Amino acid sequence: MGEQKLFFDEVTEGDQAPSRTHTLTRTDLVRYAGASGDYNPMHHDEIQATAAGQPSVFGHGMFSMGFLGSAIDEYVGVANLTRYQVRFARQTGPGEELSTRVTVRGKRTEGGRHLIDLDVRLVNQEGEEKVVGEATAELPTRG
Amino acid sequence: MGETEQAASIDELLKSIIGKPTSSSRVMVERAPVTFFAEAVLERSELYHSPEAAKAAGLADIPAPPTYGMVLEVWGKYPELQQPDDEPGGAPLMEILGPLMARGGLILHGEQEFLYHRPVVVGDVLVGKGHVADAYQKESKGRTMTFIVTETNWSDDTTGEPVVTTRFNLIHRA
Repeated sequence: MGEQKLFFDEVTEGDQAPSRTHTLTRTDLVRYAGASGDYNPMHHDEIQATAAGQPSVFGHGMFSMGFLGSAIDEYVGVANLTRYQVRFARQTGPGEELSTRVTVRGKRTEGGRHLIDLDVRLVNQEGEEKVVGEATAELPTRG
Repeated sequence: MGETEQAASIDELLKSIIGKPTSSSRVMVERAPVTFFAEAVLERSELYHSPEAAKAAGLADIPAPPTYGMVLEVWGKYPELQQPDDEPGGAPLMEILGPLMARGGLILHGEQEFLYHRPVVVGDVLVGKGHVADAYQKESKGRTMTFIVTETNWSDDTTGEPVVTTRFNLIHRA
């Protein structure tokens, strides 16, 4: 188990994690391209992206999942996830304000492991969903 | 070949790639790419920067962020770590995507899933075995959508224990 930050006893269904908000920049996309090795020009080359009919370069889905993951990390503590799954609903673009929405859907104990299930999503300033998914974390107890 | 026969052959091709190996590799998990990746996804925890902080939290070393499993093969897949029989041979994804892309359309990353069996930490040497977990087509709003799910099981090279499983869902939209 990882960082002890949130305790199972203190979690209630419906709890919400603090939201993180970030306005996407082209620099974010370039940095993520380098860190992930994903050099698809649609994510960094404005000329090629517009020639392909896109309004601009667009964000890596995995950047969105990664940023949403940071908000989950900060809530449940680093290295406590047992599962993290998302569907990429819509593209993101530079200038969009992305906010994380992490809500506790339930808690359960299985084979001595204390687990919480989370609904996770990343939305823009208009509430449009970019990434929608779920995560499960194993938490310590105040014993 | 008529439309119906073509559809039938794609269907058979999709069924035929299920279970086929897609990748096999041995990778090192190293500090610089892990910390750089953490910064790139805007992680703020000190645990991604400081081995001392990570150890104080009970981890063996700096952990990898939740989505790092996606890039394990990008970083640390050194030639000397690979073994001759590691190469799976064949490229089942291309067997499908080749003919589909020849008829146009778009390839999208539809879904992504990680199952964590224990944290990935700096210093790990991991072995990843990938295979096609599922492949199917369905109609949506008058378009043919092809779904291919690749699952990769990463395990500890020393102990053999499972570490992380990744499921990558690729969509071809005609």
